[in-house]
Amino acid sequence: MSLFNLKIKGLKIFILLLPVLGLFACKKDFLDNQAELSIPESRVFETPARILAQVNGLYSSAKIGSLFGGRYQIYNDIRSGEFRNRTSNVVTGFGVYQFTNDPSDTYIEGFWINGYLTINRVNKFLADFELAKNQGIVSDQLKSQYIAEAKFVRAYCYYALVQMFAKPYTQDAGASRGLPLRLKAQTDSADNNLKSGTVAQVYAQILKDLNEAEVALPASYSTSVLNTTRAHKNTVAAFKSRVYLAMGKFPDVITEANKIVSATAPFRAATGVNHTLNADVTKVYGNGAAELENVFSAPMSATNAPGTQNQLGYYYNAGNIEYFLNQGATGIYNNPAWPASDLRKSKFVLQYSAAWHILVKYSNVSPFTDWVPLIRYSEVLLNLAEAEAEAGSLTRAEELVKAVRQRSDPSYTMPAFTTKAIAIQNILLERRIELLGEGFNAPDIQRRLQPFVSVGAGASIPYTDSRYVFPIPTSEKLTNKIVE
Amino acid sequence: MKKVLLKVVALMFLSVSVWAQKKISGKVTDKNGNPVEGASVLVKGTKVGTTTDTNGNYTLTAPEGSKILIVSSVGHEQMEMAIGTGNTVSFTLNQSVGRSEDVVVVGYATQKRKEFSGSAAIVKGSAIAEKPVQSFAQGLTGQASGVNIIQPNGLLNNPPVIRVRGLSSISLSSFPLVVVDGIPISTGDVSTSAVTNNPLSDINPADIESIDILKDAASASIYGSRAAAGVLLITTKKGKSGRTTVNYDGWLGQTQAVRLPKMLNAQQYVTHKNAAIANALSVNPNFSAAPRDAFAMMNDDKGNPVDVNWQDVVYRSAISHNHNLTFSGGNDKTNFYLSAGFSDQEGFLKANTFERRSVRVNINHKLTDKIKLFTVVNYTNGINNAPNSGSYAGGAFASSGLGRIANAQAPNVPIYNANGTLNIEAGAIGRGANKISLQFVNPIPLIEQDKNRSETNRIFANLGTDIQIVDGLSFRTSYTWDLRLTDNQRFWNPVQGDGYASTGQAYNNSARSDNWNWTNILQYQKTFKDAHNLTILAGNDVQKTRTDNWGGNRDFLADPFFSQFQGTFINNTPGGNGISEISFEAYLASLSYNFKNKYYFSANVRRDGNSALSTDNRWGTFGGASVGWTLSNENFFQNSSLSNVFNNLKLKASWGKTGNGNLANYYGAYNLYDATIYGTSAGAVFYAQAGNDKLKWETSKQTNIGLELGIIKGRLNFEMNWFNKDINNMILAVPQAPSKGVPGNTILFNVGSMYNKGLDFTINMVPVQKGDFKWNTNINFTTIKNKVTALVSNNTPILGYTSSLELSSITEVGASASSIFGVQSNGVNPENGRRIFIDNQGRQVQYQHQGGADAWTLLDGTRVSSGSVTSAAKNLGNTQPTWFGGFNNTLTYKSFDLGLNITFSGGNYIYNGSRAGLLDQRVWNNSTEILGAWSPQNKNSKIPRPIYTDNISNGSAFLISDNVEKGDFLRFQNVVLGYSVPKSTLGNSAIKNVRLYLQASNLFLITGYSGVDPEISSNGNSNISSGIERNSIPQGRTLTVGVNIGF
Repeated sequence: MSLFNLKIKGLKIFILLLPVLGLFACKKDFLDNQAELSIPESRVFETPARILAQVNGLYSSAKIGSLFGGRYQIYNDIRSGEFRNRTSNVVTGFGVYQFTNDPSDTYIEGFWINGYLTINRVNKFLADFELAKNQGIVSDQLKSQYIAEAKFVRAYCYYALVQMFAKPYTQDAGASRGLPLRLKAQTDSADNNLKSGTVAQVYAQILKDLNEAEVALPASYSTSVLNTTRAHKNTVAAFKSRVYLAMGKFPDVITEANKIVSATAPFRAATGVNHTLNADVTKVYGNGAAELENVFSAPMSATNAPGTQNQLGYYYNAGNIEYFLNQGATGIYNNPAWPASDLRKSKFVLQYSAAWHILVKYSNVSPFTDWVPLIRYSEVLLNLAEAEAEAGSLTRAEELVKAVRQRSDPSYTMPAFTTKAIAIQNILLERRIELLGEGFNAPDIQRRLQPFVSVGAGASIPYTDSRYVFPIPTSEKLTNKIVE
Repeated sequence: MKKVLLKVVALMFLSVSVWAQKKISGKVTDKNGNPVEGASVLVKGTKVGTTTDTNGNYTLTAPEGSKILIVSSVGHEQMEMAIGTGNTVSFTLNQSVGRSEDVVVVGYATQKRKEFSGSAAIVKGSAIAEKPVQSFAQGLTGQASGVNIIQPNGLLNNPPVIRVRGLSSISLSSFPLVVVDGIPISTGDVSTSAVTNNPLSDINPADIESIDILKDAASASIYGSRAAAGVLLITTKKGKSGRTTVNYDGWLGQTQAVRLPKMLNAQQYVTHKNAAIANALSVNPNFSAAPRDAFAMMNDDKGNPVDVNWQDVVYRSAISHNHNLTFSGGNDKTNFYLSAGFSDQEGFLKANTFERRSVRVNINHKLTDKIKLFTVVNYTNGINNAPNSGSYAGGAFASSGLGRIANAQAPNVPIYNANGTLNIEAGAIGRGANKISLQFVNPIPLIEQDKNRSETNRIFANLGTDIQIVDGLSFRTSYTWDLRLTDNQRFWNPVQGDGYASTGQAYNNSARSDNWNWTNILQYQKTFKDAHNLTILAGNDVQKTRTDNWGGNRDFLADPFFSQFQGTFINNTPGGNGISEISFEAYLASLSYNFKNKYYFSANVRRDGNSALSTDNRWGTFGGASVGWTLSNENFFQNSSLSNVFNNLKLKASWGKTGNGNLANYYGAYNLYDATIYGTSAGAVFYAQAGNDKLKWETSKQTNIGLELGIIKGRLNFEMNWFNKDINNMILAVPQAPSKGVPGNTILFNVGSMYNKGLDFTINMVPVQKGDFKWNTNINFTTIKNKVTALVSNNTPILGYTSSLELSSITEVGASASSIFGVQSNGVNPENGRRIFIDNQGRQVQYQHQGGADAWTLLDGTRVSSGSVTSAAKNLGNTQPTWFGGFNNTLTYKSFDLGLNITFSGGNYIYNGSRAGLLDQRVWNNSTEILGAWSPQNKNSKIPRPIYTDNISNGSAFLISDNVEKGDFLRFQNVVLGYSVPKSTLGNSAIKNVRLYLQASNLFLITGYSGVDPEISSNGNSNISSGIERNSIPQGRTLTVGVNIGF
């Protein structure tokens, strides 16, 4: 009985205390903590400025150091004979250099992951932009332009991935295993399994995106920075010339390149941004937009740098000299076709020490804020030259190569393009010089099914060798059982 | 009705006074003859009792028929003596060891141990106070059953890995909840650089009275949401009424690195590397990485060959000292405890230091008979400094990691050039007479010029009151403010190491963590009719923690003169900025009841909300119940002959459900976009997190069945518990196919489950007590089995990486979590010295480095692709110990005491990744083990033929089974020999007692493991990549001398 009594009394006191205990129960938002430094999904289409920021976010995602801000170029340049490794560091590509990288290699996996991350960001942007609540914030015209830019970024990523992780299109007209073609926004746990499309299917998607983008993109933007850092019509034409070249579709290369290359020298784009070669090759690199030559670049700044072990200047220049030029017979460096009179040699190579002759195209100054050239006009001229040599006019091919060579070395006498073989040989040689350290070495070898004459592996690696392209990473195979 | 009760109570007291018959007095002293003050003296079977005065004297009036007196005092063993016929009963108490007495601190209250039916371990503060450690957690090793503690390595203040009854989660923290005087505090590592800073070091170990470890769910579930990994309840010392006592404790210690690998000397290095180059050239004549005979000896300016032992350059003999001064005392109204502590410790790694200054004030005051006030104020300043050891979580592959440089640096090049300048060449050490450049940096600038500093200033302030409303009913409210300011400073010199590329780099970060907690508890405690003992408790608990981080990176020093963040740099970028906030809100109730101390029942329930979960699922209900039966208090038992043997026999069982709210991501329920910039001036926003708006509680259900036995009048106490901890709805960062492009390739889902089953035993006994000699021993032993029973729907395994780089661990269904994941090797082909791997089709594939297209072949020479080997990784063994324990002894003889702690653990495997580096055939130096490598003359070697640049055959490129080793060990953790100066010598001086001691920590280790230490965790507290040793510095051995003086 006494127990009962006390309970009642206790209860009274408890009731008296309830306001204290209930203080926080009343305050419903006590447990509602929102992230303060991230923007919720519901608000990213809120204003025109934020939609534009999303478009910039797609480019930004693509240009990070582990993707097109450094690693793409490095992985494609250290595989054959142009460079030698100094540091034996697997973090900076030693496995790739030696052809010992395997599916579990986390650096190559990092490239795969970031490539697809950018692709999904594009996919999500495209999907969300169509949601009813996100309509009417920007004009229809701007909307279709943004969609076109997103598609260009997606095509750019797929091209790099298919080149690195799948057999060349030219081997079997794209019949071999390509990549999983992800075109749907992924935000939950569904859809892990997706079979790889063929190489041809991937290229078809790339061209579809590029063709759709070309229509909706503007001819130019308001500033030279924008013209170099965002896609416009001529960017797409230039990039398509590279894609068709990789497919060995030479007439298409000519069609696309001719959109921005005049019939005769001096070569320039007649419409849109008037791309042309910069008279001084040494002005092409550095921090900023050499707009007319640099069709498309990854912009960098001190607050937006590629990151230590991704930076081109850190790899090749005195940043850390991860790789120096190969003075042996397999490298372009001591090739007689590249005399010292060439500005690209006298200005872009530094004899740091007897052993280390290094490429100084990219500044060694930290932070590494040199813009990374992704598409240059000289590449387009060489793409076109090669296509002309293969399927068009040898004379025009010769003129195009000459334009590139004589800009840097007016004294050089190039062998006359009397046969297709001579022409091709000289064009490829010119590409090795002009595009050294810009990520073209491996794709140029692969699309022509040549062997990698690798210094790192100490071997010649034919296209039949499994090491010729990168394997699909282990983490993909573990989570996507049917990727193949 | 209240009157009725009062009458009953009054009658009880009246009856006592009426029957009071005998006055008894006496003195309570300790074994040294010092009076024990404040000891409780109780007539057995009654409530009649008193406490001793400052001289240890007591007087009480015992009722007629009283037979036995019981004396208890904190820090001493309880003692019973027959009253006999005289009027004087004196006691000499023994110091208690390992096991505390009668009280268990449970959630929001205390409970008498005999009434407790859950499972808890108690470690007394004295067991850790004198150990040369930075945080109390390091001293817990081997002290309590069911609790496994791993000190990752010898880096000072590196947070230990603590597991209470096994791994409690996979994605969330498995570190137990730490509650200090009632407030949950943060754990982990609050440093942002290569130095470690364990926030638990903010508690001075010397201030700790006891640590109660709640293991079973019924005990822990009162902490509901937070308790899935167990709870560590820290109680700090309080003052006792009586004379003010002053104590000084101090020690001085010396630490040395132990078990360092033996490396090649300069001549051996030159010979070996040149032979490896020759081998490479014989395999591939076009081999270009190094010319023939690239390595050569050189002489210093005195003409002696250069031969540097880099371990001597990096490690040292370190000196540490520690001091504590405490004042405590009080009267019947106010008790106080004041302490000041200073600790100045050096690590055996050069430039690694730890310094702590702390003050603590604990005051209890009785405002009236019914209202008590209590307050705690603790201020701590802790400063941690370290060069880059590569031995913190995430740092294993740091190119400036001194743990690796000490081994891998070339021994045939000097530290300094003949002209006294530093021997460097670009970003690495100078090549000396070698023809090729070297890879690792000269460690001198890293030791002398780099700075990794983490300083914490922290205040814990608590104010509370306990109000007795009526007899038995009390209300307690307590507010605690825990403010932590951590200042992280990093400077990388421009000469060598991480700052070389950016020509000097500084990074500072400041963290302000504001953590407050308010608890309100209403408690009703009453005994009815001398038989029904009831406690009811209800209350709430709210907590909010907000952490603001801000900081910046500065690089490209304008002038090498500067070595601070505040110097002038060309480039400045933001870094280390963040804001996070988490809130908890809970309502709780518990009830415990026992009948005549024979039958026990308790239950609790808690409703818990956590802001880090999704809006719909953030509230959860947790709870538990336990029952106990003390057979030895039954009449039938006491009347049987069993009672002659057993003085205590208790059976108990409990069940409970707890949650794990230790989410690392406070906003995992949301889809989020991050902002950045694109190039120079354009703002950019991108998709950065795939959230789960259904995210709910991860729960753990645990069953515990136990037995307690007391034999030979308490000389032997035995406790055994069987437990089964089922963890469900595990929040997992579910791996997504990378090609999906989900940011981070993971989304949090409640998908997995696993269990920990096992037994834990504790034996406390006094094997010998003869005259002046006494031997107390505590043996604790735990067996545990961890098994993952479900993961993501299609049972995708979870992969763990070492320092985000090396795939090293797998968590898969049907196996123990965090097993080693690597490729099975079948030794070395005796014919050609090539490593043989078992590929994904079970074939033997041999690897020839520099073999080009023939690098990977079957034994008959058929070419295979490298992928068939590298994709053949499989589970190579569990990394969680399946048995572990401690054997703790205290021997006393007259004025001498000897403490001996032995710890042991095993049943697990360790990946000795450091060995992959020690046998790496690049420019790195190798351990002397390489001298036994395969050669035509030594065909039965386990080490492949060395080929220069080979980083595959020995495990540098991917894990191989050859580096998997058993982790069983037995360690002499701590040996202490003390001498107490006899009372007679001290006489009537102000000094009441003096004890001197000598102590050795990590005296020796018995293990078959060949790495630096089987107690290792290169990945820190990670749940999914434990048991990996990768480039860690070793553990230290510390010798200390100490003194305790009481005034």
